[in-house]
Amino acid sequence: MTETPTDQIWDVIVIGTGMGGGPLGRWLAEKGWSVLYLERGPQGHPAARHDLNYEMGDPVARHVRGYWPTPIQATINGKSFSFFAPIGSGVGGSSTFYAGALERPEPHDLDHSEARPHPTGGWPVSYAEMQPWFSAAESMFKVNGTPDPLGESDGTLDPPSPPRRDEAALMQKLAANGLHPYQGHLCFHRDEDCPTCKETRCPKHPKMDGRTAGVDPALATGRAEVQVNTAVRKFIGDTDHVSRVEIETPDGVETLSARYFVLAAGALASPSLLLRSQSEDWPEGCGNSSGLVGRNLMFHMNEMFALWPPRSARTEGPTKAIALRDLYFKDGQRLGLIQAMGIEARYGEIVHFLNLAFDRSPLRKLTWLRQFTRIPALIASKLFGSAAVFVGILEDLPYPENRVIVNSDRPDQLAFQYDIAPELLKRRKTFRSEIRKTLRGMRWVFLNHGPELNYGHACGTLRFGSDPAESVLDPNCKVHDLDNLYVTDASFMPTSCGTNPSLTIAANALRVADHIHKTLSRQKDCKND
Amino acid sequence: MIDPRHDIALVTGAGSGLGQALALELVQKGLSVIGFGRRDSALQDTMSKAQSDRFVPMVVDVADSKAVEQAFQSIEQTLGHVTLLINNAGIYPRRDIFDETGASFMEVVGTNLGGTVSCTISALLYMGETGFGRIINVSSFADMAPLPASSAYAVSKGAGRIFGAALHADLHDRFPEIIVNTWMPGMLATDMGIQDGLDPAIAAKWGVGLALWHDPSLNGAIFEMNREVPAPRGLKRKIKDLILLRRPPKPRVVEV
Repeated sequence: MTETPTDQIWDVIVIGTGMGGGPLGRWLAEKGWSVLYLERGPQGHPAARHDLNYEMGDPVARHVRGYWPTPIQATINGKSFSFFAPIGSGVGGSSTFYAGALERPEPHDLDHSEARPHPTGGWPVSYAEMQPWFSAAESMFKVNGTPDPLGESDGTLDPPSPPRRDEAALMQKLAANGLHPYQGHLCFHRDEDCPTCKETRCPKHPKMDGRTAGVDPALATGRAEVQVNTAVRKFIGDTDHVSRVEIETPDGVETLSARYFVLAAGALASPSLLLRSQSEDWPEGCGNSSGLVGRNLMFHMNEMFALWPPRSARTEGPTKAIALRDLYFKDGQRLGLIQAMGIEARYGEIVHFLNLAFDRSPLRKLTWLRQFTRIPALIASKLFGSAAVFVGILEDLPYPENRVIVNSDRPDQLAFQYDIAPELLKRRKTFRSEIRKTLRGMRWVFLNHGPELNYGHACGTLRFGSDPAESVLDPNCKVHDLDNLYVTDASFMPTSCGTNPSLTIAANALRVADHIHKTLSRQKDCKND
Repeated sequence: MIDPRHDIALVTGAGSGLGQALALELVQKGLSVIGFGRRDSALQDTMSKAQSDRFVPMVVDVADSKAVEQAFQSIEQTLGHVTLLINNAGIYPRRDIFDETGASFMEVVGTNLGGTVSCTISALLYMGETGFGRIINVSSFADMAPLPASSAYAVSKGAGRIFGAALHADLHDRFPEIIVNTWMPGMLATDMGIQDGLDPAIAAKWGVGLALWHDPSLNGAIFEMNREVPAPRGLKRKIKDLILLRRPPKPRVVEV
């Protein structure tokens, strides 16, 4: 290559390589457009394991492992603290760590109806319009699983491996309790005949994520490139157009140019970047004439429980293969999906969960007591063998006061403020009591007592909508104020839905990619005329 | 049983002593073995003893990092991938500190530590692609209580063990199946050892036994002869273990 990325005017520059950026860049590169991905983190090693390690605090060590290098500054219910969130920074973004559950939302997550009124009146794109894009994303990520027996649409699913004995026993037991379990929709395959499938990263059956399903195939077209270790500092442009992005690399600061820009840095980093892109034309930040950039931040709330299989079957290993939607929408309340987390609660894991609970309890100052969580854990694991850990994903709703903020002293540090809504706590209570009713007669235990936000599921901070006063993005996820800037990470979501956001992000990214492709094609045709 | 993911073994300093014995033992076990050494004649000796075309000699001075890089490139192009590396090459010139110069000192460090570092970095390029590999760093207790007239050797060997610990810190969470161990073979009857020491062929059985033992829980462990050297436990830890009825882990033993 003689041309460096700096000289070239790319058709599309994509900021971020996770679930929003990866698949979009692939779609465009495969349609023939030149694509440059900008990634803050490193290239990474495809064979490396990506287990999040919250105890690793060194920013350099975090960077090379693809973790977001610095702590997040949070103010929750008025209390400020900083912590390491499960956010990735590296090719593939946070998706290199994700559990790989690619579940569809339900129609009522997007659509308004009399029976199930939508909190925002409905998304600007209906469930029916999203259907083909859910299917496209399911194919791209090779999603396998069995259809939800309670659902209307089956999805485009590959057949899963047959359930293990312990999984089958758990599913039977759940079914006997009147529930409707199905084999969860996963973007990786467990092939019993494959000798390497027991490993975290099977080279023959890799987990499909932003890198393996997005960036890698995009690079294979020869029309895409990825520039790693590149932090985007701000957008540069005038009232209605972005002309360049200013980037910082180990070699210094420079600017890059493209016809279209797609922001997919994640629901915390994307609004932060727009807010930091202040200029004479954009006094409140880029794309912020509505004042809504960064607002309506949502997380899910996790309700975790350990569930032991019936006596006839011992747990044979971690499972992610079970999901159920019996409590997704209950008695007029928006609750959410329940799914196996891929964690086997053996002695060590039970100790870990008990320790987390201990750290929040009033006894936490008596650190020596923490050792004794081992005793109940030992008893539980001896009595019951190991359990499967499940999580209920409780939908969060948008409030404008919950938002991403920019800390003027440390503008590069991600920061947010969030108050847990009383309404959410009320639904949480319902969710927990419904879980209790649901599991009656089974051996199980809640693993968290206090409310537990899922910081990996941030969304909603650049919501899309038809009214420029009420939303940041238009229905095509183009920033209302600008003619060539799109956003495709979880920021676009007006509500958080009752399920993992990955599939929705990827499906929407493909929908937007196709819109950009058509726009670029029209411009090309005009030139040719 | 040898892990089927193994491709080629590489032993540095394979022309004589422990290195030769390790190479021969690996050939005996059925592996293809590349032997690095400075002297062609010595490598030819190993070759004739191996009586097998599974031993491939390569004249490489491990102190020359460029030469190491090139050697690994040519291995990749012609022979395959190094999945098992035994960093054995070492020199042990006896020199009083009055006879040492900065340059002579660093020459020893360059071979003993620099060779280990260069070979490890080159081998990791491929191991990092697959996430599978085995690295054994041959070490000694020379740094614990250095003998007179062995400053450079003692420093380089101590640093080698620290390098092993640093590798562990860099790799074990991301690459649990690239297993790194430090191994102290014992006092051997070799040119570098003592006259009435241990037969290097016996030590080589332990070394190869350890090298072919593929268990991620071994990561970072230190072995002396055929036994694991348990990590030191502080008093606090001992009391805690006592209260919680936890027995200290038994040191593991290499099966030969």
